[in-house]
Amino acid sequence: MITCHNVTKNYGHGGSVKRVLSGINLQVNGGDRIALLGRNGAGKSTLIKLIGGVEMPTTGKIARTMSVSWPLGFAGGFQGSLTGYDNARFIARIYDRDYKDMKAFVEDFTEMGRQLRMPVKTYSSGMRARLAFALSLAIEFDCYLIDEIILVGDQNFQRKCHYELFEKRSDRSMILASHSTDVVREYCNRAFLIDQGQGSAYDDVNEAVEAYSAL
Amino acid sequence: MQRLKEGWRIQVRVIHALTLRELHTRFGRENIGFLWIMVEPLLFAGLVAIMWRYMKGPEEHGISIVAFVVTGYIPITLFRHAVSRSISIFVANSSLLYHRQVKVLDFILVRFLIEMLGGMMAFTFISSVLGLFDAFPMPADFGMLIGGWLLYSMVTLSICFVVGPLSEMSEVVEKFVPVLTYIMIPFSGSFSMVSWLTPTLRDYMLWSPFVNAIEIMRGGVWGENLQVFYNVWQPIAFSMVCTVIGLALCRRVRRTLAVE
Repeated sequence: MITCHNVTKNYGHGGSVKRVLSGINLQVNGGDRIALLGRNGAGKSTLIKLIGGVEMPTTGKIARTMSVSWPLGFAGGFQGSLTGYDNARFIARIYDRDYKDMKAFVEDFTEMGRQLRMPVKTYSSGMRARLAFALSLAIEFDCYLIDEIILVGDQNFQRKCHYELFEKRSDRSMILASHSTDVVREYCNRAFLIDQGQGSAYDDVNEAVEAYSAL
Repeated sequence: MQRLKEGWRIQVRVIHALTLRELHTRFGRENIGFLWIMVEPLLFAGLVAIMWRYMKGPEEHGISIVAFVVTGYIPITLFRHAVSRSISIFVANSSLLYHRQVKVLDFILVRFLIEMLGGMMAFTFISSVLGLFDAFPMPADFGMLIGGWLLYSMVTLSICFVVGPLSEMSEVVEKFVPVLTYIMIPFSGSFSMVSWLTPTLRDYMLWSPFVNAIEIMRGGVWGENLQVFYNVWQPIAFSMVCTVIGLALCRRVRRTLAVE
C-alpha cells in the first residue's frame, strides 16, 4: 500500500515560490491501477516523483509498504554517457539482482541487439522506454510508476508491455500518468484527477475522464 | 536493529556500484584504467619534489626535501581534488536519485573515497620507489603515519559534506571554493613545519586541523629525527562539527532538490 497524506509540494526559484500540489490525499492498494489525469503542468509528474521518492514533499507524508519502481519516464534513471549494458549492470547491482538473468531478460524484451552497447544518450525515447520497462520488469516491483512513456513505443512494444505488465503481472499496482483517454479506459480501474494543485479520486474511470475532458 | 542492518547492507551495495560506475565514467576501460586515480597525485608530488630538490638542495632542516614535499603534496592534492569534486555534485548525479536507495551522501562519500584511494596508492608507490634510492626513510611509526593520514582524510571528508550542499544553495560558494582552497595553502601544513615558527605563531598554526594531521603523519615518517607539534583532538573535533553541519545541510538541500 502507498499512502499520501496531505502532501504539498512547492518549487522555489530565486524569490518566487510556486505551489504545484496542495493537500493531496491518495491511497494505492495492492492491485490498483490508477490513472493520473490532469492538464500539462498540473503536477502529474511531480506527484509521481514524490511517490517514487525522487523528490521530497514540502509538507505531508508519503508511506510505502510495497516495493515501488522508479518513475519510468523520459528523463532520469539512467546515466546517459554509459551504455545500455552498463546501466543494466549498475541497476542490477543496486537492486541486488543477478546481472546474467537481467541481461538475458533485457536482450529478449528490448530486441535492441547491438544498440545496447551504445551510450543511452544516443537512444530515441522509444528505445529508452524499452530499456526502462525491461529493467523494471526484471526487478519485479509491486507497483509501477509510469509517466507517459508507455505511449511512445511502437506496436510491438505496446503488445509486449500489455502481455508482461497487464496479463502476467495483473496482480501488481500501477500509477499511470497519461493524456490518452483510450489507454486510461483500457488499463485503469481507478483515477486521480489533478487540477489547480488539488486532487480528487474517482472509483469510476469514465467519470474521471469526463471531468478531465471538461477542464 | 534489523532495519539498521538491512539499511547498512543496501548502502554498502550502493556505494560499491557507484564507485565502479564513477571509476568507469572517469577513466574508462582503456589502457591502465582505474590506475589513473593515482597518476595525478603521483605526477604532482613527483614533479614538484624534483623541482624543489634542484631549487633547494637535497636536505632542509635536516630531512630529505623530496620526502618532505611528497608527504605534503599527496594530502593537499587529496583535499583540493575532493573539495572541487564535491561542487554541484547533487545536480551532476541527480538522475541516479530516481533509485530510492541512492542517497546524496553516497555521492560525496564515493567521490571522496576514490580520491583517498588514489592518494594512498600514489603515496605507497612513490615512497617505495624513493625508498629504493634512499630518498625516503622507512617510516618510524606506521600507526602514526596511517593515523595522521586518516585524520587528514576525515577532515577533508567533513569539509566535502559542507561544500557539497552549500554549492547547491549558492553560486557564490561555487565560485569561491577554488580560490579559498588556494589561499589556505600556507595554513595547510604541507610546505612548512610548526617547529620552524616562533612559539606564538605555533599556537596559531595549530588551529588548522590540516597542520595537526600532517605533523602527525610526518612524525610517523621521521620519528625522533623530526620535531613535531600537534593536538590529536583538534582535527577530530573540527571534523565532528563540520560533519554535523554538513549532514544537516545535505538533508535540507535534499528536501528542496528538484530532479529533472
